[in-house]
This record gives sequence, C-alpha cells and structure tokens, in this order.
Amino acid sequence: MTIHNLYIFSKNGVLLYYNEWNRLNKSGITKEEEAKLMYGMLFSIKSFVNKISPLDPKEGFLYYKTSKYSLHYLETPSGLNFVLNTDTASQNVRELLQQLYRQVYVEYVVKNPFCKLNEPIQSELFKSKVDELMKKSPIYLNRSL
Amino acid sequence: MKPQVADSKINSSGTSVSSTTSTLGEANECLFEFLHAEIMNYVIEKNASDSNVKNTEENLSELEWMGFGVGYRIIERLTREWVRFKDELDMIKFICTDYWSSLYHKQIDNLKTNHHGTYVLQDNEFRLLKHLANHNSNNNNKQYLRECPRLIAFTCGLLRGSLANLGISSIVKAEITLIPTCKFHVEVQRV
Repeated sequence: MTIHNLYIFSKNGVLLYYNEWNRLNKSGITKEEEAKLMYGMLFSIKSFVNKISPLDPKEGFLYYKTSKYSLHYLETPSGLNFVLNTDTASQNVRELLQQLYRQVYVEYVVKNPFCKLNEPIQSELFKSKVDELMKKSPIYLNRSL
Repeated sequence: MKPQVADSKINSSGTSVSSTTSTLGEANECLFEFLHAEIMNYVIEKNASDSNVKNTEENLSELEWMGFGVGYRIIERLTREWVRFKDELDMIKFICTDYWSSLYHKQIDNLKTNHHGTYVLQDNEFRLLKHLANHNSNNNNKQYLRECPRLIAFTCGLLRGSLANLGISSIVKAEITLIPTCKFHVEVQRV
C-alpha cells in the first residue's frame, strides 16, 4: 500500500496545496496546468455522477479506480476538495481524508489568523502536519518501488 | 517550578467555572479565537489606512487598550468567590493558576520573580500561538515571528487591566523567541 499524492482545492478551483510522496510518473506539464486539468476532471465527474445516478445521490462522487491507482475524493460542505491518490489496495482512505480536514486543515489553517483562506497555504506547520499524518497512516508504506 | 496557591480549596465554585468552560468544547473555544483574530485584523487595517501613522513599528496600543478594558472587568467575575489576597505575589500566583486556566485552559508553566516587582510569566504553549507553529516542527518556528506581536498585544492589556483592578499598576511586555512559547514580563510601578 502506498500514497501517491494529495491535492487540496478551494471551492473556486484554486490549488491550495499539493504534495507528493511516491509518485513515479510525472505529468510533464507544470503544476498549475496539472491542477487545472485535475480540477476540471473532478468538476466533470461530479456533475456526471449526479446526473447519471438512477437514485437520489446522497454523497455523490467518492472515488474511482484504475488498474494502477485509486483516486479518493472528499468534498466538504464548505466546498473544499481533498483529493488523494493511493494504490488500489488501500482501505479507509476516506477516513484519512476526514482526519486531514478535521485535524490538520481546520486546526492549522482555519485557526491560524495569518493564513488567508482561498489562497495557497504557506504555513510550514500545516505542511509538516500533513506529512506527519500521511506517514503515520497505515496506508503509507514506503516501499522501494 | 509551578506556583502553588495555598488556599485554592476555598475556591470550589471558581474551579468548577473553569472546568465547565473547558468541557463546553470546541465552539466555545474557537469563537474567542476567531473574534480575537478579526479584531486584530480590524485594528491593523485601520492603522494601515490611517495615513498619519506611517511608522515602521505597528501601532498596537488600541488592541492593548481593549485588553485592558476586558481584563479590568473580567477580574471582578473571576475573583468573586475569593478571599482577599495577602500580597502582590499572591495575586500573581492567582493570575498564573486559576485566572490563566479560566481564560486559556491551562496554567502558566513558569513564574519567575526578582522580589522587587518584576515577574516573568512563561506559557510554553500559548493558546493564541499554538496554531502557528509548535515545538516539534523543525526549524519553522520563526515563520510568523514578525506578526506575533499582534496576537499578544490584547493579552498584555488583559494582564495589565486585571492587575490594575487588583490595585497594581504595572507595565506588561511580552517576549517571544520560539513560537508558541511566550513570556510576559510584568513590571510593577511603585509610586
């Protein structure tokens, strides 16, 4: 099991934070372009899922899986988007995303009066806490790939 | 060395007040923090737009005065169950223990004095600073050091106001070298 990378988007699609751990394949475009592509795709999937669902969708889009990786998606009621890519075997990633939101984002970004909301996150404490949370999670297993 | 208050048992209802405030939970706690942050931003922005004030140093006296007013009032409420304090040191000890734990949910970690009217109150994890940086994080405790005085000014006033209402006129300064540790220097003014 492993964690590849993490994106946090604001509700307007601004990339607030990006970090990667075990990422083997680079996209070959700049981080900004990649973030735009990613957000665009998520936006489309979200509306697609909500329209195509035969039942009343409660939570909407949660994750998708390819042969190589899974993309897990958490949208908060306030519109923040947390996106975490892991390998396909990972369990309880949603819980991890919830933790990330509750224990790290709220604590060290929302409660830090010098962090402007809807702008890329600068706080060093936030960055180290994200890293700490990911590395201590059972999903994170630093295999030599 | 942690300061001990000899007659803390008398203050049974006082301690229950502080315990209920801490169990009331998150909303209660962050409401003050967010409000404080907004007041801070308001004062800073107002000073910035004021063209008369073009100093290199930020003018935080307004924040300090607000703290003074709050401190002056809050002390009435927090000491209502208490017997009269013996002396100055007794009051400072009260500030370090019950007062601090009702306001910031923890006690002052270290109290130093030269017995000539100077007291140094050290809080190793000051509540208004703990979201900025912490001790375990390597090397990043200095990130917000320049902005920190804004978060401290109110509390300096709070201390000064409280002491003023207890009959001690003082000057309160704060010193931060490593976030979130904060030292408050209280200098008692003798007439």
